[in-house]
Amino acid sequence: MSGTNKNLQQKMDDLSELIAWFDGDDFALEEAIDRFKAAEKLATEIETDLSSFKNDITVLKQRFDSEA
Amino acid sequence: MENVLLSVSDFVALTNQTLEYAYPNVGIEGEVSEFKVSQGKWVYFKLKDDESVVDCFMTLWQLRVPIEDGMKVVIQGSPKLTKWGRFSVTVKAIKPSGEGAIKKSFEILRAKLDAEGLFSPDRKRQLPRIPKRVAVISSTEAAGYADFIKIVNDRWGGLQIDVAHVQVQGDSAPDQMIRAFNYINGQEELPEVIILIRGGGSADDLAAFNDEQLVRTIAASRVPTLVGVGHEVDESLADMAADVRAATPSNAAQILVPDRQDIIRAVRAQTSSLLPLISRTIEQTSRSLREQLDGAVERIEYRIATYSDVLQARRSVLQQLNPETVLARGYALIRGQQKIGETIEVETSNVILEAEVKNVRNK
Repeated sequence: MSGTNKNLQQKMDDLSELIAWFDGDDFALEEAIDRFKAAEKLATEIETDLSSFKNDITVLKQRFDSEA
Repeated sequence: MENVLLSVSDFVALTNQTLEYAYPNVGIEGEVSEFKVSQGKWVYFKLKDDESVVDCFMTLWQLRVPIEDGMKVVIQGSPKLTKWGRFSVTVKAIKPSGEGAIKKSFEILRAKLDAEGLFSPDRKRQLPRIPKRVAVISSTEAAGYADFIKIVNDRWGGLQIDVAHVQVQGDSAPDQMIRAFNYINGQEELPEVIILIRGGGSADDLAAFNDEQLVRTIAASRVPTLVGVGHEVDESLADMAADVRAATPSNAAQILVPDRQDIIRAVRAQTSSLLPLISRTIEQTSRSLREQLDGAVERIEYRIATYSDVLQARRSVLQQLNPETVLARGYALIRGQQKIGETIEVETSNVILEAEVKNVRNK
């Protein structure tokens, strides 16, 4: 995972929150560019994370062909 | 053996030993008749064809599918001579044989489990949108498993997948799948979803997924279940008992995880919509400012015009009050004492006269 220790879901939530700010009552033009840059950085991190993640597949050693 | 004298019990025991040696496990196909369950534990029926009939016995817990008279079945068992001298087959496994019997058995069991509420939509649980840890029950050698893993890997990453390798067809398959379900459900740290998958096959191949105990195990799973068995047209009782049914193993992968490309596209679309939003806001703010300034100018011009009108009116009044204007209308301004013999000054609009007062009288 790149960037901070936040997991993907937390980053997605952060991005949604950042984007929601642009539609909210607190929107202020003075802050918009900084927030936009933060959103763009987060989006790039998410894209990098998504592209680099691999699944970890483990075949259990436990056998199921007879009663344990 | 000619000179050996056996007791009846020894004869029965010897016969059974011989039968056990000769037929440790025999498969027989025939039609069921006189099917009955005794004391809720023992199952008795006859298996017959056009010419012969044989008694069969089994325990109720071994009966994994509904059986009724007239149904064609295949049994696995061992022949035995009872101490009462009756010959019967002790059945270890029984399953319907032929399309008609399989369908009939399926319908009976479906109706029974449906009546118990095992397939009720109210029991269905939702799967997590983005799971982190899941367990798969399948044969790792099956094509359906390979399809599932390929699609999950293509679509998503960062997922911990524990795989329980089991047989997914054959007589031992239901028990293996049940053990796998029980093992996973008994773990201290539970996965978020259990996925049961198997690719397509004949009705007989997929019969394991209509096993009553397996269906009950799926319905009772602590962990939400996703079942994808066979092709789209195939329908199993395992599907119906699952929290979520997938049409195929590939479809199970699509249901389990989102497509990372979709999320990347959505994230890009979200962020790229922000710049136009900022530009639009700047434009709107500028327009609003311009409009406010225009309004201010208009208000100033209006005030000036108003003041100008007032000034003009007052100037007009002032003009009327100007003595010069009165003199211009023919009046004269007199200065001095109005007494006989006094000299007074008379001012008209264009001359100033000096005159002597000759007479003064009251009006």
